[in-house]
Amino acid sequence: MEIDVLELSDRSAKFILSNTTAAFANGLRRAMLADVPTLAIDDVNVYNNTSVLYDEQLALRLGLIPLVTSFDDFVPQDECTCEDGCPACVISLTLSVEATADEGRMVYSGDIVSSDPKVQPAEMNIPIIELKVNQKVVLEGVAHMGYGRDHAKWQAGVACGYKNLPIITIDGCDRCGACVNVCPRNILCLGDKFVEVSDESRLNCSLCGLCQDACEIDAISVTENESSFIFTMESDGSYTVNELIINAVNTIKRKASSMGDILSTL
Amino acid sequence: MFPVRCFTCGKVIASSWEAYKQRIADGEDKAAVLDDLGITRYCCRRIFLAHVELVDIMAPYQ
Repeated sequence: MEIDVLELSDRSAKFILSNTTAAFANGLRRAMLADVPTLAIDDVNVYNNTSVLYDEQLALRLGLIPLVTSFDDFVPQDECTCEDGCPACVISLTLSVEATADEGRMVYSGDIVSSDPKVQPAEMNIPIIELKVNQKVVLEGVAHMGYGRDHAKWQAGVACGYKNLPIITIDGCDRCGACVNVCPRNILCLGDKFVEVSDESRLNCSLCGLCQDACEIDAISVTENESSFIFTMESDGSYTVNELIINAVNTIKRKASSMGDILSTL
Repeated sequence: MFPVRCFTCGKVIASSWEAYKQRIADGEDKAAVLDDLGITRYCCRRIFLAHVELVDIMAPYQ
């Protein structure tokens, strides 16, 4: 298996995974979406809420705010060795904001005060609720580690997906230009003797096959390389993309080895 | 209130809402602003385009 990184930043990545199977690529995708635990506010104790939102809606908004998570420091509560909550599985965050009698104010994720300085909202400018004059919100949120398969608030990977690597072969082209006009992503261009496609724009091909239909002499064909995948993924900010991929692969490894253990005892 | 995350893909979009609202009010083109804010998928873009702010309508009835 080979990996070719095309783009890599803190929040998003694009890479080519080659010499592997669709099953592995899909396993990686699913692990990034559902099997990497992250922190999210899970229980909310509302002491005062006179805003326009119901307590439940407020709690949902709080839950969906991504919290920066250190994978090694926290464990999901049901996997923790303690019985009813310890600093490794329960983190308390408070939110206490009051609008004055003169003007309202917006409550942002940056107003959340965390009991653990390492756990902070990944973005500070998420509007939670707009308070009108004299309205106030006082609450405590309890964050737990959880899995994306249980609720979207624990989903660290965003829009993880892949497609097969396109193979465009041009043979016997008469330079009529019909395929160039019909391509919705403009990846084909007229060369000196025949139609050409650059390596870079080839990755952008959506495998729609319109160029094949447009060609009257069947000179162009678009197929896919079934053992290579162009992966795109983003992180919600709770982990960097690097950490997310590594954690996802470790999850797959751990699951595979526990499967091996189970099989060996049969 | 504007949704914190995209219903479909899960991207955190609320953090871009105020910048979007401000720039639209300044007369910029919606599509160009969304591109500039990094809202590239149509699942996220439709939430910006279709959002109706209800807080001001609800507030008198509290």
